[in-house]
Amino acid sequence: MTIDHDVLVLGAGLAGMRAALEAAREGADVAIVTKVHPIRSHSSAAQGGINAALGEGDTWESHAFDTIKGSDYLADQDAVEVMCREAPADIVEFEHMGVIFYRNEDGKLGTRAFGGASQARTYFVGDITGQALLVTLYDQILKAGVKVYEEWFATTLYVENGACRGLVALEMITGELHLVRAKAVIDAAGGLGRVFEPSTNALICTGDGYALAYRAGAPLMDMEMVQYHPTTLAGSGFLMSEAARGEGAYLLNSEGERFMKRYAPNKMELAARDVCSRSEVTEIAEGRGIDGNVLLDCRHLGADVILKKLPQIHEMALDYVGLDMIKDPIPVRPGMHYQMGGVKTDASGATRLPGLYAAGEVACVSVHGGNRLGANSLLDTIVFGRHSGKASAAFVKGVAASRGGENVLQAEQARLKELLARPYTGETHARLRLELATMMDKHCGVYRDEAGLTEALRQLSGLKARYEKIAVGDKSRIFNQALTFALEVGFMLDCADAIVRSALERKESRGAQSRTDYPERNDAEWLKHILITYRTGKEPELSYAPVTITQWKPEARSY
Amino acid sequence: MQFTIEVGRYNPEGKYDERAVAGKPYPPPWDKAAPRRYQTYTVDLPAHAVVLDALIAIREYQDESLAVRCACRSAICGSCAMWVNGHAHLACKSKLTTFTKDGKTRVEAPPSMPVIRDLVADMTPFWEKHRAVKPWLEAKQPEPPPMEEYRVPNAAMEELIQEVSCISCGACLMDCESFAVNPDFLGPQALAQAYRYAGDPRDAETKERLGAYSGPGGIWDCTHCYECVTQCPKGVAPLEQILKLRRLAVDAGFTNNAGTRHADAFADSVKHSGRLNELTLLPRSVGFFNILDQLKTLPSAFNMIRAGKFPPLIHKSIPGVQRIKNIFARVGGRFK
Amino acid sequence: MRVAFYPGCVSKGACPELYVAANAIAEPLGLQLEELAEAPCTGAGVISEQNPDLADALNGLTLAMAESKGAHLMTICSTCQGVLSNHNHHLKRDSARLDKVNATIGDQGFRYGGTTEVKHLLWMLFEDIGIDRIKAAIKRKLTGLKIAPFYGCYILRPAEYLGLVERPERKTYLEQLIGLLGAEAVEYSGATKCCGFPMLTFNRDKSLAMAGNHIMEAKDKGADLLVTPCPLCHLNLDGQQPDAARVLKKPIDVPIFHLPQLLGLAFGLSPEELRLDHHVVPTKGALEKVELKV
Repeated sequence: MTIDHDVLVLGAGLAGMRAALEAAREGADVAIVTKVHPIRSHSSAAQGGINAALGEGDTWESHAFDTIKGSDYLADQDAVEVMCREAPADIVEFEHMGVIFYRNEDGKLGTRAFGGASQARTYFVGDITGQALLVTLYDQILKAGVKVYEEWFATTLYVENGACRGLVALEMITGELHLVRAKAVIDAAGGLGRVFEPSTNALICTGDGYALAYRAGAPLMDMEMVQYHPTTLAGSGFLMSEAARGEGAYLLNSEGERFMKRYAPNKMELAARDVCSRSEVTEIAEGRGIDGNVLLDCRHLGADVILKKLPQIHEMALDYVGLDMIKDPIPVRPGMHYQMGGVKTDASGATRLPGLYAAGEVACVSVHGGNRLGANSLLDTIVFGRHSGKASAAFVKGVAASRGGENVLQAEQARLKELLARPYTGETHARLRLELATMMDKHCGVYRDEAGLTEALRQLSGLKARYEKIAVGDKSRIFNQALTFALEVGFMLDCADAIVRSALERKESRGAQSRTDYPERNDAEWLKHILITYRTGKEPELSYAPVTITQWKPEARSY
Repeated sequence: MQFTIEVGRYNPEGKYDERAVAGKPYPPPWDKAAPRRYQTYTVDLPAHAVVLDALIAIREYQDESLAVRCACRSAICGSCAMWVNGHAHLACKSKLTTFTKDGKTRVEAPPSMPVIRDLVADMTPFWEKHRAVKPWLEAKQPEPPPMEEYRVPNAAMEELIQEVSCISCGACLMDCESFAVNPDFLGPQALAQAYRYAGDPRDAETKERLGAYSGPGGIWDCTHCYECVTQCPKGVAPLEQILKLRRLAVDAGFTNNAGTRHADAFADSVKHSGRLNELTLLPRSVGFFNILDQLKTLPSAFNMIRAGKFPPLIHKSIPGVQRIKNIFARVGGRFK
Repeated sequence: MRVAFYPGCVSKGACPELYVAANAIAEPLGLQLEELAEAPCTGAGVISEQNPDLADALNGLTLAMAESKGAHLMTICSTCQGVLSNHNHHLKRDSARLDKVNATIGDQGFRYGGTTEVKHLLWMLFEDIGIDRIKAAIKRKLTGLKIAPFYGCYILRPAEYLGLVERPERKTYLEQLIGLLGAEAVEYSGATKCCGFPMLTFNRDKSLAMAGNHIMEAKDKGADLLVTPCPLCHLNLDGQQPDAARVLKKPIDVPIFHLPQLLGLAFGLSPEELRLDHHVVPTKGALEKVELKV
C-alpha cells in the first residue's frame, strides 16, 4: 500500500508526539509511524524531572550556563539559549495540558535539586515524570485526532532527488510492507542504548532513527559522546533515578566513604553524570568497589521521603535485587544511558538532508554537547519536538507531493524476502547483539584508548560480515519479531561503527569521552564537533563543525 | 536454576483471532477457545529471575518464533502484561520462584481479549475504552496566563498521582470479571482515568463527565470483585476510583439509575429496621416504574416462594433499632 | 467455645436454611453461639461505598458489641466478613477514624477499643475449632461426591484486609474441608471469582451470566454440587439459577449448598433438618450419590 501525508513523524515518544501535535496545530496533515504503542515509548522511563528557569530568582542564563558547563563546552550556545529561554513557557504549557506536577504549599509548581544545577530548577511528578508527561501528551494526541500507525516498523527512509520524501514500514500485524510518503519526515525514534551492555535502556532502543537517517545521507554528530549514568542497578542495569541523589542520597565505596568528595568536593553526588561515572569506575578499578559496584545509600532520607518522592525506584530495588532502600544501601554501577550525539540538526530541527527533521534523543542540535545534565533530556524533547513540528509544517507548504517510491518499496520487499529465505547457519541475531554490546562496553565505554578503539573497529567489521549471513528463525508473516529484531541489529551495527570512528577521531577527553591516552581537554585543537557521513561502498566520511559560542567562554570544568 | 515454562502458542497465519472482527460479541468464558496449544520449555536462570527473563531466553536461544511484547523490563512501559498461572501479571515483575506451581509456570495471552499471536493480545478494546472516557483535560476557563500555572493545592494533585501511576498494561481489564461477560463495560483502567479527570480541579467538564460515566457500560456495571485492585502492578486500585466516581456522580445529581436506587433502598431499609429488607430492595432498586424490568424478576420470585426461601412478609426490626436510627441521624449524610 | 454470632441479614431473610443449618452444627463443633441480635446490617459494601462514615459507625457498633462479649465475632457470610474485615482493618490502624466512630456510637452507649477479631465459620474451623474436632464429629463421609468450592469474592479480596497475607492458607480452606469430609474437590478457575450478585439490580443479565458461567465451568469439570460460604452468592447461584440458564441458553441444574449444610450432612444430620429440601435448584441428585433422600 502507498499512503501520503504532509508530515510524517517517526517515533511516538515525547519528541515525536510533541512534534506531531505542533504540526497538527499548524494545520498540516500529520501522521505518526511507531514500532510500539505510544505509551510503551522509552520516554516513560525518564524518572527524575524536567528543568526550567521558572522559579523566583532563577534566570534562563543561569540554566544555560549550567547546561553549557555541563556539556564541557561542546554544546552550541545559541541552541542552548533557545532551549533555556523557552523552557519555562513549555513547562507551564504542559501544566495547562494537565500534567500533575509537584506543588509547594502555595499551590505553585515546586522543584527538586538535580545534578550539575546551580539552583534547584527541576520540576517533577513523583519519580515518574517522563511517564506523566508521556501519558498527558498521548491524551492530547487522542484529543487532536492525530493518525497513528501503531506497530509499524520503519525499514528505510525514502530519498528522492536528494530530499527525504517518506519511508517504508512493515505493518507488523499483517506482515505487509507499506510506502508512506510525506513532504517532510521528523525522525524522533529515540536512543540506541542496546548497543551497549549494560544499559538502562529498553529493548526497543536500538538506534533505528540514527541508522535510518545516516543511511539516507544525513550526517551524525558527536556520536562519541555516550553518557553512562552513575546509578544503574547492579545486574539488570535498571535506572536508579538521579532524583535519589537530588533528595540527598550518598554514593559510598567499600570503605563506607563518600568518595565523591575527592572528585567533586563542591557538588559531591550532584556533580555532572560523566564526573560521577568516572569516579565510580576509578573507585572500582582501584579495589574499593563491592563485586564491581558502589553503593547508593538513601537510608538517612527516611521512609517518608523515600515512599513519597522515590516510590518507583524503591520498588525496583525490592523487586530486582531484593533490598529495601529504607534499610539497606543499594549496589549500583555506571550503565550506558543516553546518546548526546545524533542526527545533526539546527535549532529548528532541520537536518542537513532536506525534508528530514529530527528531535529528541536521536537528534544532536547540540544542546547537550559532551555531557547531558539530568532533567534536560525531557526538556530537549518537548522544545525541539515543538520546533520540528512547527518548522516542518511551514516547510511542507512550499513542497509538492512525491509520486515516486515504488522502486524503493519493491527493493525493501526483495531485501526482506532474502533475509527470511536465508538458511540457518548456527548463529542467531541475539547472540550477535550480545557480542556487539559487550564489546562496545569493554572497548568504547567510560574509559577509552587508541588500542581498544582500534580493536573495536576490527571486531565490528567481523560482526558485520557475520550479520550478512545470519538467518531469521521465524518465517511467519504475522507479527514477526525475529525479523524486526534482525533489522534492529543492522541498525545497531551502523550506530556502533559511527560511535567508534568518532571516538577514535577525537584525540582528547571531553565530557563523556575519556581517553586515557589523551586525558586532557584540548580546546585549542578539539573545540569542535565531529560529523560522520555515510558513503555507499566506502568508509564513512569524517568532518568537523564549529561550536557556536555566544556568551560563555570555555573554562576549566570542575564541581 | 532450572525452570519449566508452559507457553500458550497461537500462530494464525492468514488472519488472526475471529473475535477481533468488529461487532462480534465475545463468547462466555467457559466457552472461550483456549490457546491452540501449549508448548513446554526449560530454561536455566538465576534464582531471582522473572517470567520475562525466561521468555527472552527462550526467544533468543531456543525458539525465535515466540512472539511477546516487551521493552523496559522494569515494570514501567506496561508491554508485557499476560496471564501467568491464570491471572494477569506483568511478566517482568513475576518471579519464577513465586509462580512455579507443580514444577512449572504457565503463561498465555488473556482469554478475554483477541489474540494476535502467541502472547501478543489485541489491546484494541483496551485503547478504545480509554479513549471513550475523554481522557484529556478540558481546561477550566479562563486559563491562567501563559507563564502561570493553575493555582491548586498540592494535596489535590497528590490525590491524583495514584491514577497517573497507571502504565496502561491492561492487567486490570484482562482479569475484570464484568468485562468478561460484558464487552461494553468501560472497565477499570478507563474508569480510573475517568476519575483522574473528573477529580482534577482544573477540569471544566466534571458534571458532564459524571453524567456520561453513569450511563450503560459505566460505573454501575462494575461488580465490585476487587480483581483489578489485586492485579494492578502499580497500586492504582481502579475499583476505589470507580467508587469515588459513584459518590461524585450521586452528589452531582445523577441518580436516575439502578445503582443509586439500590443504595438508597439499602440505606433506607437499614435505617428503618436495622437490617436488609429483601422484599423491598429488589423492586426499589429496579425502579417501580420500570415495569418491564420488574416483570423480569417475577419468575425467580415465584421460584423462591415455592422453595420456601422467601423472607417473611412482615419485616421485623432488630431490637434496639433506635440506636441505628440515631446513628443515621448523626452521620447519615444524604441518607438521614 | 463462645462466639459472638453475627448471622447477617440474608440468613434471616431469603436464606433461612442457612440460619437453621448454622445453628444445627454448633453443638457438634462445640460452638456456643451468642447471637448479636441488636447489631445492624453491615451495609454489604453498598453503604461503605456511598457513605464511608456511616458504614464505619454501623460496623463500629457491631464490633463494639462483639468486643463487650469478649469473644470472636463469627460470620457465616463472605460479604459480612469482607465488609467487617475492611472496616475493622481501618479502625484498628487509623485512630482518627476510630475516634470519629466512638464519638458517634458513644452517644448510644458503646465504645470500640479495637480488639475484636472477625472470623468466618470457615476460618474458625481450621484456626480455632481444629481438624481433630471436625474429624471426631464426622458420622457420614461424603465419599463419591465431587464438590466445587465457591468462595465469594468478599472473603478473598482485598487480601490485606482479610489477613490473607499472613494466612494464605485461608484461600484453600474450602478445598481442604471438602477433602476432610471425604469428598473430592473440583479444581476450576471460577472458584475464586465473583458470582455477580452486587450487579444483579444494575445489569441483571450480565450478573446472571457470571453466575451461570462459573457453575457451568464446575459442571464441565464434573462437579455434583457447589458449596459456598456466602448466602448472597447462594442467592445468585441457586435462587437465580433458572434465570441464569435462560441467559446462557443452556440448562444448568447444579445444586448449591451452604457451608453449614455440607458440614451438617457429614455430621449425620438429615437433609430436612438442614432444609436442603428448600432450595430453588433441587438437591436430590447430589444427595442420592451419598445415599440420602430428601
